[in-house]
Amino acid sequence: MTRLDSARRATRHQRQWFEDLRAEVEAGAPLALVNADAPQEIFRAMGIPYVVNQWWASIITAKRQGQDHLGRVRAHGYPDDSEQYNALPLGGVLDPEPDTGPWGGLPRPTIVLGETTGDAARKVFDVWDEQPGTTFYALESAAENAVPPNWWELMPHRWEEAIGSDRLDLLVGELEGLIRFLETTTGLVFSETRFRDVMDLVNEQEEWNRRTRDLVAAARPCPLEVTDSIPSVMVPQWHRGTAWGVEAAKAFHDEVAQRVAAGTGVGVDERARLMWIGRGLWFDLDFYRRFQDSHGAVFVWSMYLAIAADGYLRYGDDPLRALAARFATFSDQLYTPPWSVEWYVKEARHHGVDGVVHLVSDDPRGSWFTTRGLEAAGFPVLELHADNVDARTADPDTLDRKVRDWLDAVVLPRAGARGG
Amino acid sequence: MAALAELTALAADRTAVAHEWSAAGRPVAGYVGADVPVEVLTAAGFLPVRLTGDPDTPPVAGDRYLGRGLDPVARSVLTRLLDGAYGPLSALVVSHDCEASLRLFYAVRELHRTEPGIALPPVHLVDVLHLPHRTTTRYVLAKIRQLRTQVERWKGSPVTAEDLAGAVAAHDRVRSLLGRVAGLRRTRPARLTGIEALAAVAATTALPPDRAALLLEALLAEADALPEAGGTRVFLTGSSHDHPRVHAALEEAGLLVVGEDHDWGDLLHHRLVDPPPDPALLELALAERYQHNGPAAAAASIRQRAAHTAAAARACRADALLSYVRVHDDAPRWDFPAQRAATGLPAVLVDRQPYGRIDLDALTALRTPGVAA
Repeated sequence: MTRLDSARRATRHQRQWFEDLRAEVEAGAPLALVNADAPQEIFRAMGIPYVVNQWWASIITAKRQGQDHLGRVRAHGYPDDSEQYNALPLGGVLDPEPDTGPWGGLPRPTIVLGETTGDAARKVFDVWDEQPGTTFYALESAAENAVPPNWWELMPHRWEEAIGSDRLDLLVGELEGLIRFLETTTGLVFSETRFRDVMDLVNEQEEWNRRTRDLVAAARPCPLEVTDSIPSVMVPQWHRGTAWGVEAAKAFHDEVAQRVAAGTGVGVDERARLMWIGRGLWFDLDFYRRFQDSHGAVFVWSMYLAIAADGYLRYGDDPLRALAARFATFSDQLYTPPWSVEWYVKEARHHGVDGVVHLVSDDPRGSWFTTRGLEAAGFPVLELHADNVDARTADPDTLDRKVRDWLDAVVLPRAGARGG
Repeated sequence: MAALAELTALAADRTAVAHEWSAAGRPVAGYVGADVPVEVLTAAGFLPVRLTGDPDTPPVAGDRYLGRGLDPVARSVLTRLLDGAYGPLSALVVSHDCEASLRLFYAVRELHRTEPGIALPPVHLVDVLHLPHRTTTRYVLAKIRQLRTQVERWKGSPVTAEDLAGAVAAHDRVRSLLGRVAGLRRTRPARLTGIEALAAVAATTALPPDRAALLLEALLAEADALPEAGGTRVFLTGSSHDHPRVHAALEEAGLLVVGEDHDWGDLLHHRLVDPPPDPALLELALAERYQHNGPAAAAASIRQRAAHTAAAARACRADALLSYVRVHDDAPRWDFPAQRAATGLPAVLVDRQPYGRIDLDALTALRTPGVAA
């Protein structure tokens, strides 16, 4: 099938943007390396260029340089089988010839922003902090006792109720400190009016993603491949808070809408609709297409468009508190029961999937409860145990065989029976 | 040496006193992690018992609910909790001292929601965090107040300021005494082995603080009669040890653990609440104590850990540094290069170890003639 124009445009834009960023930093601009689950909108409002750590990790992996990067982490005495997704870019800065990285390499950041999720992620950023000219600004990763399960309904406007005031107070305080830190170290100004514009643009962009998600959920056949959907939504996601981000999200929506109106699918007889739970399998993106021709099984869902639709919208009169509300519980939405479980079930129903492939990495993410919740709701689940950026953790043939066997034995008979 | 024997026995049979307490109609609260402010539980009349895993029992249920990619101690604790191995618990308080504890809390919370037939005590998370900033202090203070409110709900009556002040004083006393007990293995020659020191600490987490203090005072009183302990003086860093088997293996192999920076060792007691004169500031003092206690591997920066380990190893007059790291306990492995550099001691990392076991062959470098006993 033909790639979506929006995916092609997004990829092209990203190359040009990165080239421009390298030139800007070369000319003396500060650079931030920001974790995906940490607030980026403050950098946007202040005009500080930033790169998202996990996006860069996905580029390193897609360019088949992951093992080189992990090798350098190992050579410095650090583990190469811990926090690989977060640690890959570190392997770039430890390279004596950093320009040999993908796209000319990541320039050395002046600030690294990350939350202290898990036990080891913050250690990766501590190593960044040891690099000359780089400061790690740490954010807490807080947790709460009682949470209302239907977070996706509450978040856009009633986020204070969904998250709880203690966590919001904490992150607002940390972000106020971040603003002062950036003002002091860069000499740049934080404008509240500019920041409000940025927050408005983000909401506008995510509203387009919400509409696109709903189109995909309702469409039969599925109008796009998941490998097209990921760059179409994620590249603009890393540019959220810009007019380009809004335009790109709208163009993606319009292109999907056209395909839906024309009844265009992915070029196969769609016999089963699949959901992919987990991070993208960056070392083998062809995986998602492999079962289309052989089984008519199409991945119609990945978290990237869905979390863009449900996970980012935050309205309110206090933009900094709204920004805190976007990120105080970001990973909970994806990985912490009951939020994650109830959301995956909601999305599985919304998209009418016939089965769920669940990537279970070694890091603990409440996977048992996710699988159990989906199965209790009537969805067959296949767990694949592998790390999404470390090809050493999984044999592709074994993964393929497991999926094929499961499709034959469980999913296709069920989908066939349902289709009548 | 009666006190040492009693502490060792109580460390091994951690439910003994809890059963007495329950039999007398008094509530027992199990807790997970050193970040649980036990003072609040004591003040409300609960016996706080820190939950331990068991390396001899396969963590079948824990593996099921938590997956196998998590510190096996947490998987074991959840298994034992589901098996009822801790006896009757009126409540369970879990801290966010590491990812494994947090995931254990989420699992118990979700089992309450989705599997109401499973018998589990009511659970509460106390989210003590550790970044060294005022924003974190305010948050931890809110969490301590939240815990107090929850405990009052369980108790059915308020925790008074006097009760809380008394509990703080009692637990601070235990910490001070544990500090003096730790001194017994810092001397040359040492008067306490690593396994004995570990037992003394562990016993205090299964006893009411007043009784723990009496036993520790008795141990200090009999210190002069304790035999000299020999072996290559090692400072132990890395994973925590809720079970004595690794210490036993190390000391049988000729090493002597003279200090350790995990929260079943010296990190449990080295910082006091030390309450200010104004009773209105007691909760804040508790918050600051728990926020700044450490630095534990899972919650501290590489730099903090290295500085602490170097200072503690010097204070313990260690001749070598050993980092023991359990499988799926990732943080200590990131700490090790800086710890090795900061201590300047012969150092070995033994990583990805099964729960309760250690590969002694990896320790050859610590037993060479250059590392004097």
